[in-house]
Amino acid sequence: MKKKNRKQIRKRIKNDWQIYLLLLPAVLYLLLFHYLPIYGVQIAFKNFLPVRGILGSEWVGLKHFQNFFHSYYWKRLFSNTLLLNLYSLLFSFPMPIILALMMNQLARKKYKSFIQTVLCAPHFISTVVLAGMLYLFLSPTNGLINKLIVLLGGTSIYFMNEPGWFRTVYIASGIWQSAGWGAILYVAALSGIDTQLYEAATMDGANKWHKIRYIDIPGILPIIITMLIMNTGSLLSSEFQKTLLLQTPGNISASDTLGVYVYTAGLEGAQYSYTTAIGLMMNVINFIILIMVNKIAKKVDESNGIW
Amino acid sequence: MQVKNSMGDRIFQVVNHMLLLAAVLVVTYPLYIILIASVSDPYAVMRGEVLLYPKNISTIGYERLLKHKDIWTAYKNTVIYTVAGTSLNLIVTLMAGYALSRNFIGKKWVNLYFVFTMFFSGGLIPAFLQVKSYGLYNSPWVMVLMGMISVWNVIIARTFIKNSLPDELYEAAVMDGCSHVWYFIKIVVPLSKALIGVLVVYYAVAHWNDYMTGLVYISNRKYQPLQVVLKELLTSLQVTDSMSQMLGDVADNELMMRVAESVKYCAIVISTVPILVLYSSMQKFFVKGVLIGSVKG
Repeated sequence: MKKKNRKQIRKRIKNDWQIYLLLLPAVLYLLLFHYLPIYGVQIAFKNFLPVRGILGSEWVGLKHFQNFFHSYYWKRLFSNTLLLNLYSLLFSFPMPIILALMMNQLARKKYKSFIQTVLCAPHFISTVVLAGMLYLFLSPTNGLINKLIVLLGGTSIYFMNEPGWFRTVYIASGIWQSAGWGAILYVAALSGIDTQLYEAATMDGANKWHKIRYIDIPGILPIIITMLIMNTGSLLSSEFQKTLLLQTPGNISASDTLGVYVYTAGLEGAQYSYTTAIGLMMNVINFIILIMVNKIAKKVDESNGIW
Repeated sequence: MQVKNSMGDRIFQVVNHMLLLAAVLVVTYPLYIILIASVSDPYAVMRGEVLLYPKNISTIGYERLLKHKDIWTAYKNTVIYTVAGTSLNLIVTLMAGYALSRNFIGKKWVNLYFVFTMFFSGGLIPAFLQVKSYGLYNSPWVMVLMGMISVWNVIIARTFIKNSLPDELYEAAVMDGCSHVWYFIKIVVPLSKALIGVLVVYYAVAHWNDYMTGLVYISNRKYQPLQVVLKELLTSLQVTDSMSQMLGDVADNELMMRVAESVKYCAIVISTVPILVLYSSMQKFFVKGVLIGSVKG
């Protein structure tokens, strides 16, 4: 019996060999550019020397982690990263949902898709250009924003050079760039809601606000929860591109984040093992948060959760 | 039955329209300003007079930008990286997407193998060391190969193919002696135009806007992509070498500063217009693309 089964399996694999062939390039890419780097993470516990290679370098246990927590800057890096992500979650996360609920109220299809097309456009602008625009518009001497402030009787602000303004600039520009794009998903979900529900609600005397509150929001809640879980899974992650681009000597006390530190100390300073340890720690904490939040969401309702 | 709109609902509608129009303005106005400032007299821009339409039309910014050799080398590089990279992305993604839309032994594990990479990575430094060990540091190939597949896009491809091509079609083709590869080339690819549209834009934009790969892996100026050179131009406050390439003959310091700023507006325009044109020509596919990707499973 078992033998027959195995024979069958072998036959099916032989039949489908072309499927494995089609998968091969993608699988190889992930192996070379994703899984082997994960294997290379072991240098976080070693004293990596390029001449000795990954395997030849000596083990040092948790030395790098201890060094990090004994350094004077670790608290600043941690809190800057966490605050930036928390504020982003607080302010950036709801914006696409609000936009989608608003767009969903538009009756004419053409008008709706025009607005959606326009609001999505900034998503395609590069981070470098975004940063360049911010430097131009927020410049203390010639920037439009400061011109407006002066016109209204205020004094001009050096936005890019003040730590107090860093997060605001970062998050506001992020909303400008991504809110419209993020809304697509919710708009699509909203258009899938059964129109009979609205008709029945109208009969019961519900106004627009009631319909949003009792039909629209519950209707897209599962997607909101999924997106929220995905987002909390990156609370300690830190993309270093935009932060690095917006970092100036003036705002560094707010813009120095883990991601930027790993880049500068790791690549520019060649402290490979030390910064790999920091990166690993971020990844592991993120992964744990993701799993925990997913578990909690599932406990509340079995249909929640991303897996 | 026609139910009359109540007063409250009408006010709600008006406010909603106004807020959305405000959002449209907030999004488009900065882009519009960049465009009109790029063709206006730099002094008029400085005085804050260029707010609604270009003033004292001047092409000095574009003329000076033409002299910036580095940016044109980088521009050419990025065009090559984008075309080559996107073609490769497309082929590999469609192949993997098709394979995952079929049933085969070990599919569960292959799925896990793909999806795991979305949630866990080795991080910047191990990836850097690994890629460097392949001899890709300072090689233009790194700009083409990096991000060869995005797992998210593979999921989009898989779901699209699974939903738009009925299983009967495959079974009929197999009856006629069609193999997987042949079916993929002859049937799947020609019937997936909308999918290909979405993937082209996603991948092309990613290559065009890619700043990180150039920053981390390329130090040879010959191979530098557009975004890296653009960054130097846009965020530098001092006059750099490449700037004196363009502006060296301008004697007046004040004029030089003004022109340097004008050049920035022009650089933003030339680097952003291609991507926005691509986007608007393909935008009808998008909602579909995002929608497909959001299907769980």
